Amino acid sequence: MPTRLSAVTGATLLALFFLTSISRAETISFADAVTSLATDCGKDIKKHCSGLNLGSGKIQSCLEKNAAKVSPTCTATLANVTASIKQRLAAQSSFASVCEHDAAQFCSGVKGEGNVLSCLVKAKRVNERQCGQVITDAGWR
Amino acid sequence: MKNIRLTATLLAGLTVMTGHSLAQDLSDKQLVRTLGRVEGAAPAIDIAILVQEASASAGKGVASLPHWQNLSKLSQLIVEIDFENDSVAIEPKSYRTVGMIADALHHPNLQRYKFLVVGHSSSTGDAQHNLALSQKRANAITEALSTTFAIAPDRLFAVGVGQEWPLDPANPKAADNRRVQLINLGLVR
Repeated sequence: MPTRLSAVTGATLLALFFLTSISRAETISFADAVTSLATDCGKDIKKHCSGLNLGSGKIQSCLEKNAAKVSPTCTATLANVTASIKQRLAAQSSFASVCEHDAAQFCSGVKGEGNVLSCLVKAKRVNERQCGQVITDAGWR
Repeated sequence: MKNIRLTATLLAGLTVMTGHSLAQDLSDKQLVRTLGRVEGAAPAIDIAILVQEASASAGKGVASLPHWQNLSKLSQLIVEIDFENDSVAIEPKSYRTVGMIADALHHPNLQRYKFLVVGHSSSTGDAQHNLALSQKRANAITEALSTTFAIAPDRLFAVGVGQEWPLDPANPKAADNRRVQLINLGLVR
């Protein structure tokens, strides 16, 4: 019985750890995301992708095309960076719909998305809800 | 003259605050606040006229850019974004700066505004070439912002002015003159 309990505790802790690392990845700013790209892939970019711009996925496809020559750290970082940019964009674009109800309840009469956001950030009860989590994931605290 | 001094003051202020890399150490909140100050009397900017003026006056300096002077009245930031030599490729060490701009432009306080990216060069090299390269580099920045970071393309405009509007008119060849201005053009219609 104690063994089973500790196994369950262990699994719970592991799951918690896993969840925490996921939600931490969600709250990375665009600046931090591309900084890790520059740090871990800078050398490979200079070597294999010289002359290419960051935009239009050119660096990404160049690094993927040269995967055999690119450092494993860079390959892993590239995948993480791409994912975290996507997660942040998703959180930001879900703000309006997820927070619609809370905005009506706590910030009615407030005009402008920026003002609604600062009102929601100040409203204590919002922060315990899904809307509060979206604001955090969007990086708008 | 006053306009240039104003820009220089802003740059000096940021330099004191952040050391070498201007936007690098500014917080996202500071960026949003600086770019979000919109005066009621902000002049309307016609980008086609800016392009026309710049291409007609390569090598003639800021005096032949009357419409460009209006830009000084708008809220803006100067950032340093480094490129590979004679190329549109943004150096990896400057990715962070582009990412910071993306963070700021996605903030709800700035979401309704459109922005102009202005590329400047130093006076090293041919004036026509500098003009063309600064335009391509400004385009490269807006391309990165609108694709990698999904800023709506109708919020972004890019122009290059080459070496015509140096930050440091006494030393037009100085590296400080190579810079990017990010200017709030007002509400997206």
